[in-house]
Amino acid sequence: MEKVLSIQGISKKYGRIQAVNGLFIEINKGQVFGLLGPNGSGKTTTLSILLDLVRNDTGTFEWFGKSPSKESRKRIGSVIESPNFFPYLSAVKNLKIVADIKDKPYDDVEDVLQLTGLYDRRNDRFRTYSFGMKQRLAVASALLGNPDVLILDEPTNGLDPQGIAQMRNLIKMVAEKGTTIILASHLLDEVQKICTHVAVLSKGRKLFDGEVSDVLAVSELLEIASTDMVQLQKVVSLHPDFTSIVRSEDKWLVYFKSQIRPAEVNEFLFKQGIVLTHLSERKRTLEQHFLELLRDNS
Amino acid sequence: MVKLLKIELKKILTYKVFWILMGLYFLFLVLGILLAGFTINSWVDNMNKHIPIPFPHIRIYFFPDIWQNITFFASIRYILILPATVIIILITNEFTNKTIRQNIVNGMSRQEFLLSKLEVIFVISLLITIILIIGTFFLGIANTDSQGMAMMFKKISFAGGFFIQLFSFLVFAFFLGFLLRNTGLSIAIFTLYALIIEPVLYFILKIPKLQPNNVSQFLPVNSVIRVVEYPYFPILKNLMGLNVQEHLSLLDCAVPLIYATIMIGIVYWVLSRKDL
Repeated sequence: MEKVLSIQGISKKYGRIQAVNGLFIEINKGQVFGLLGPNGSGKTTTLSILLDLVRNDTGTFEWFGKSPSKESRKRIGSVIESPNFFPYLSAVKNLKIVADIKDKPYDDVEDVLQLTGLYDRRNDRFRTYSFGMKQRLAVASALLGNPDVLILDEPTNGLDPQGIAQMRNLIKMVAEKGTTIILASHLLDEVQKICTHVAVLSKGRKLFDGEVSDVLAVSELLEIASTDMVQLQKVVSLHPDFTSIVRSEDKWLVYFKSQIRPAEVNEFLFKQGIVLTHLSERKRTLEQHFLELLRDNS
Repeated sequence: MVKLLKIELKKILTYKVFWILMGLYFLFLVLGILLAGFTINSWVDNMNKHIPIPFPHIRIYFFPDIWQNITFFASIRYILILPATVIIILITNEFTNKTIRQNIVNGMSRQEFLLSKLEVIFVISLLITIILIIGTFFLGIANTDSQGMAMMFKKISFAGGFFIQLFSFLVFAFFLGFLLRNTGLSIAIFTLYALIIEPVLYFILKIPKLQPNNVSQFLPVNSVIRVVEYPYFPILKNLMGLNVQEHLSLLDCAVPLIYATIMIGIVYWVLSRKDL
């Protein structure tokens, strides 16, 4: 696999606050990589370091197998923080400046304006744009000249539902072309819908990373009770998908690895000679699951 | 180099504030230059009423002294403050619009960013100097008699001196704007310093008992003013005993450039290390 980004132990302190703390991440070509973490977990600082906006205190990183330079940044399109353009220049003029810096032809300007639906307003000053349009211009700027990597920091922040849907479709479309995408988000749901790989950050550290389907797999939770609670605990732990068990008042809360049908568990227990007096399914939202992951590791 | 300048031109050419302030600069310049000739000679006329042997009119617009006189007027600090304000706005805009960050992210190096701004300062200084040379040339031709025409370009080196003045002064403005990052604050502090604080400081340092070794001339803004310190009015010499300069001094030209170099060095150092 072709390595796109390799982060080796970068750290950054702002005064007394440790924003990034010895971070290691590897990203390969074609991945849609999510940086997932609550606000203040170091996502934006990490991206800022990768783009030479912020100087890291320690550690190194490599883009495309080389130490970072302006040339590597020309191969990266990014939308970080609010859209930054000259308010008195039109979309076209602003994007031509970007094209100049990136050494890309002006023809690309028209393409990205079409793609982001700004073509009709291309000659209007940036100042006159709505927030959604500004955000789209930032995306247009990031897509200019077909970058090898697209970096997005909270791309749907502040957008209306329609804008969010458009943005997600756009990201998927770009990903389908084989562009590597790095996406920072505090929304688990977003990462799960869009990303193939994920690293979960908390307080500037990586808690774990891997394929989204592994890391964010939702274990199932059943609430059960029987007359003999001790025997019930013994037997249910023999179930092939069993992961853990917790006592909750007069019931057991049982976690299972994968999606599981309550009827199947009931049948399993009945065959072992246990009659349940209580069986109910508990759904955890993805958010709850995410919060638990963070809590367990902090 | 050319690429960076191309980028900067896109930022500037459709920027109204730039044209308005530059227009004002030339307006004040032309008015100042034309009014100067009128007021100074009416002052000479007034004086002549009271003395037996009248002074001749000062030949402000005559070759070759016109080079010195026009560059003197053009480098008065009250006029220079206008292009300096333009430079402050251009650099602080990059911070308030956060476009400096966008430029870096898109693949400009921090050094290139600094270079692009220095190129702008250089080109603006050069263009203003060229316009001034052309204007002076025609003004001189229109006023000079045949005797003066023979020495047409004798003092044209003052135009070079003016370029040094303008370039250094604009670098000072850039330096402050870069460090403060805030448009209004930078303009206020720069204006206050150049027009009030430094002249007061200069005056205090000039009191011989206080400061015998004449350091006042090395104050930054004053070092710029000193390059073309006086117009060539022989009357000043005759009447007030002022030692009117007749040509540029190498030391006077070097001091503001040394200041500019140090400031550029500090900006380079800060820009290379700081978070944006």
